[in-house]
Amino acid sequence: MELDFACRYPFTEEGKQAIIENNIQVNDEIAERAVQRVLNAMNWRDKEGRGIYDPTYAHLSDKLTEIGSYGAARMMLSHLRNRYLTNSFAVGEAKRAYAFLKGLEEGHPDIKRLQEEFGVVPEKREGKDTLPLATYVKFAPRSVDYRLVNRNVKGGRVEIRKKGAGVSKREDLRLLQEAIKIRVGHLGTIKNAPEIIRKHSERLMKSMPKVAPSKMSFEKGDNPPCIEKLLEAARLHQNLGHQGRWSLAVYLINKGVPYEKILGIFSNFPDYDERIASYQIKHAINRNYTMPACSMMLSYGLCVANCKVKSPLGWDEWKKRKRS
Amino acid sequence: MEEKEAKLVLDSFSGYYKSAEITVPSIEQREFGVGGFRKKIEGRHMGFGTNGMLHNYLVQDTPLYISHSIAYYKFPEATPMENKEWMGGDLVFDLDVHAGMFLSEAEIEGVKNDAVSLLEDFLIEDFGVEKKDTLLVFSGGRGFHIHIKSPQFRDLGGDERRELADYVGGVGLNYEKFFEAPDENKRVWGPRKTDWGYRGRFCRFLEKVLDDDPSSIHRGLKKPQEKAKLHSCMEDGNWSKTPIKDIIPRLRAVAERMKIGTINVDSGVTIDTKRLIRVPGTLHGSTGLIAKKLDKIEGFHPYHDAIAFGSEPLKIRVLENIGEQEFCNSTMGKMEKGEEKEVPMSYGIYLLLKGAATLS
Repeated sequence: MELDFACRYPFTEEGKQAIIENNIQVNDEIAERAVQRVLNAMNWRDKEGRGIYDPTYAHLSDKLTEIGSYGAARMMLSHLRNRYLTNSFAVGEAKRAYAFLKGLEEGHPDIKRLQEEFGVVPEKREGKDTLPLATYVKFAPRSVDYRLVNRNVKGGRVEIRKKGAGVSKREDLRLLQEAIKIRVGHLGTIKNAPEIIRKHSERLMKSMPKVAPSKMSFEKGDNPPCIEKLLEAARLHQNLGHQGRWSLAVYLINKGVPYEKILGIFSNFPDYDERIASYQIKHAINRNYTMPACSMMLSYGLCVANCKVKSPLGWDEWKKRKRS
Repeated sequence: MEEKEAKLVLDSFSGYYKSAEITVPSIEQREFGVGGFRKKIEGRHMGFGTNGMLHNYLVQDTPLYISHSIAYYKFPEATPMENKEWMGGDLVFDLDVHAGMFLSEAEIEGVKNDAVSLLEDFLIEDFGVEKKDTLLVFSGGRGFHIHIKSPQFRDLGGDERRELADYVGGVGLNYEKFFEAPDENKRVWGPRKTDWGYRGRFCRFLEKVLDDDPSSIHRGLKKPQEKAKLHSCMEDGNWSKTPIKDIIPRLRAVAERMKIGTINVDSGVTIDTKRLIRVPGTLHGSTGLIAKKLDKIEGFHPYHDAIAFGSEPLKIRVLENIGEQEFCNSTMGKMEKGEEKEVPMSYGIYLLLKGAATLS
């Protein structure tokens, strides 16, 4: 039972304990599984739970390999210090955990244990499920639906809603997913990685998809601050919410950036999927979407400066006027 | 500024610091920055191990401006920034008025009201900050700083702090988000007047509009029974009870008139986790006024209660026309450009620092 928990959620204290108590050492089998684990994270899909390894009926040795592979993957990523891979791994592992959690009924012991470990325990206040304000802003996804300004806030507590009318996901679990992503993405440094980790890290790099993330060719100041921030997220291989990606795509399309280059920029996002990104960009091109005005960027939470333009596309004009 | 004016200003500042009691909590973990007549921050990455060391520095090497980091660092003097090892930071709000040479009485009242609203309605009521964890400071210039030292906010990064700043500024507020999509019984659930935060404020404001000017929403609301139905919606949150089909879009004008969240917060200060902020109790180099810690804001007037220097006369020549002005608990008379006059030291230094006068 405990091993199953560690297997599903290896980033927990339970996962650490399982490695210590079972004296799990990295061997070729574990390292091989770790490589696969990182690659899976990069291509992971949350569709009907497909692609998730459920350890419930697995043999004990498979369970230990599964737990060990998480630790080995972290060692490889610490050794490689590749931000793109690390962020992709963090996003993938968090989504994997969410896929397990979303199938559980409310109040399930696994959910409670994780909420306690990550300090994301909802408490009732005036009949509402709430989280502390600081916890909420730390772990709320950067999306318009989670913007604090549109939330019920009182006495340092923020209401979190149940899945239902207008709420597509269980918000308590969505915040937990974000907390998991942050923890998984924090890696220590490893100076002298063991030979087996070095060997398999090399193999991991060779197994990477052939399309390497595109380098940005924009100069600082070419774009308004909100777009710079979105491009910076791509540069740092950080995940962006739907509105962020959509606004970036529409901006680049309206600026006349070619499809291939936009796709290249999107390939920097840690959960990049060429098929989906390609469809979305082509769809935006075909529909000829107009750029959201600054007021809309504000409501999305994407505006980061008061740059005195009405639309991000007005930036060039404003710069010209300022120069003259 | 000429040398003799600069010397007078700095000597006066030094004199103030000799008797001033300035205490910076966790001083050994703060980075300091100082500024002079050219820039407000000319040098940073400074540190003081004790408040006594800071006191000696202020008296002997008197800067025109001095600020400390909102952040706590392991090595505050280290460079570059990442070597300082950030350990968290206070949450700070900066309320500013874009004013001319003097703040008008209306501007003073406006920014004071904003500070009270920010503190009571947002920070205490909504954010749950305890009064004892807040420090209200007149900035010495055109507004107020509110420092929040609650541990729960210390480790928030810039993006998280932006959410808080946007909340108090009402940035991105979309009242339509208060309403849910119709449920299986086609009922629309929306805000109630007992709701928290903006939702409750929205209803309470709507109640006022219903009393004062109901037809601005819909002509039918002049009928008492229709008005009562809308009141009832706000009681239990069931907005299907009003027969006005397009009630949600009709409330847009109300939301826009609501004027909630018009607090003039400089969000750049709140979101910057490495920001330097004026040291409370020190002098503002553009005014000579004290960045004064305040227990309560009611009755505070910056030009009477944040005065650092005595009333001994200073002879100045004014460089522009200056109107009548309240200062040092009395009314300073009008002055014509080129006029020479003796004025109280605090007022004279204020005008020197504003570039509106020279020593005569």
